Amino acid sequence: MTADDAKVSDETLIGRTAAGDPSAFDRLVRRHQAAVYRFARAAAPDGPPGDTGDAVEILRETFLAARRAASRHRDETSARPWLLALARQAIDRRHPRFREADLTPLRELARAAGWQSGGGGAVDESGLSVETAFAALPPEDREILTLCDREYFTVDEAARVTGLSDAAVRTRLHRARLRLLARLKERPHGE
Amino acid sequence: MESERIVAGLHCGEVLADLSEHLDGRLSFDRAERIDEHLAGCAECGRLFGEVTAAVRALRQLPDELLPPEVEERLAEALPG
Repeated sequence: MTADDAKVSDETLIGRTAAGDPSAFDRLVRRHQAAVYRFARAAAPDGPPGDTGDAVEILRETFLAARRAASRHRDETSARPWLLALARQAIDRRHPRFREADLTPLRELARAAGWQSGGGGAVDESGLSVETAFAALPPEDREILTLCDREYFTVDEAARVTGLSDAAVRTRLHRARLRLLARLKERPHGE
Repeated sequence: MESERIVAGLHCGEVLADLSEHLDGRLSFDRAERIDEHLAGCAECGRLFGEVTAAVRALRQLPDELLPPEVEERLAEALPG
């Protein structure tokens, strides 16, 4: 985003998009396309879509939906939660899935992360390890971590994107963090 | 192994349930203070909280993945002007 782009708010760009200004729509796309791409890679159920065509389709459907809905956008804040909610709908259309409740007891998740084990198993915080651990998580975990710990969305914004209640967002985030920690404490074979 | 206990009036299980809320600063002042007391007096919960905090920090510090140029080009072609 250039300094000039940054002076124009999302609200303004969405308003101009609703009025049919193609350059405003183009600027909105350029401002948020990378974030939508990252979210799609995180939330797609079969792992990050390595297939470029799939990622392009999710992006295309997201921004076309945004253009159609621009006149109904009433948010006073950033457009990003709104766009990622549209992206999630696009992902769900292309990858229908049955979302099962996470019934794993919290203590079990915590023990997998080393709780009540008397110590041991240092956390590997290197970038490569974190990337690998994150990629190995279930899509529901990658999704909530992306929203809350990468995009810094509020609970309310994450709930809007996912369609979950605020309480479910908080629960899912806590569980995802514990599973991430458990992954980071796993030692590769042979060490 | 079962070494859960009560420290600062809170059971380890209660503290476990609130760790992320505490990390994100969403607990009331009183609740946060009691959790901190428990964490200071309970090695297992204190260690877990430190490790979850470190994992979240490491995740937040990852550089943003960039949009591949071929995806950007194909998106520009796919969106009508």
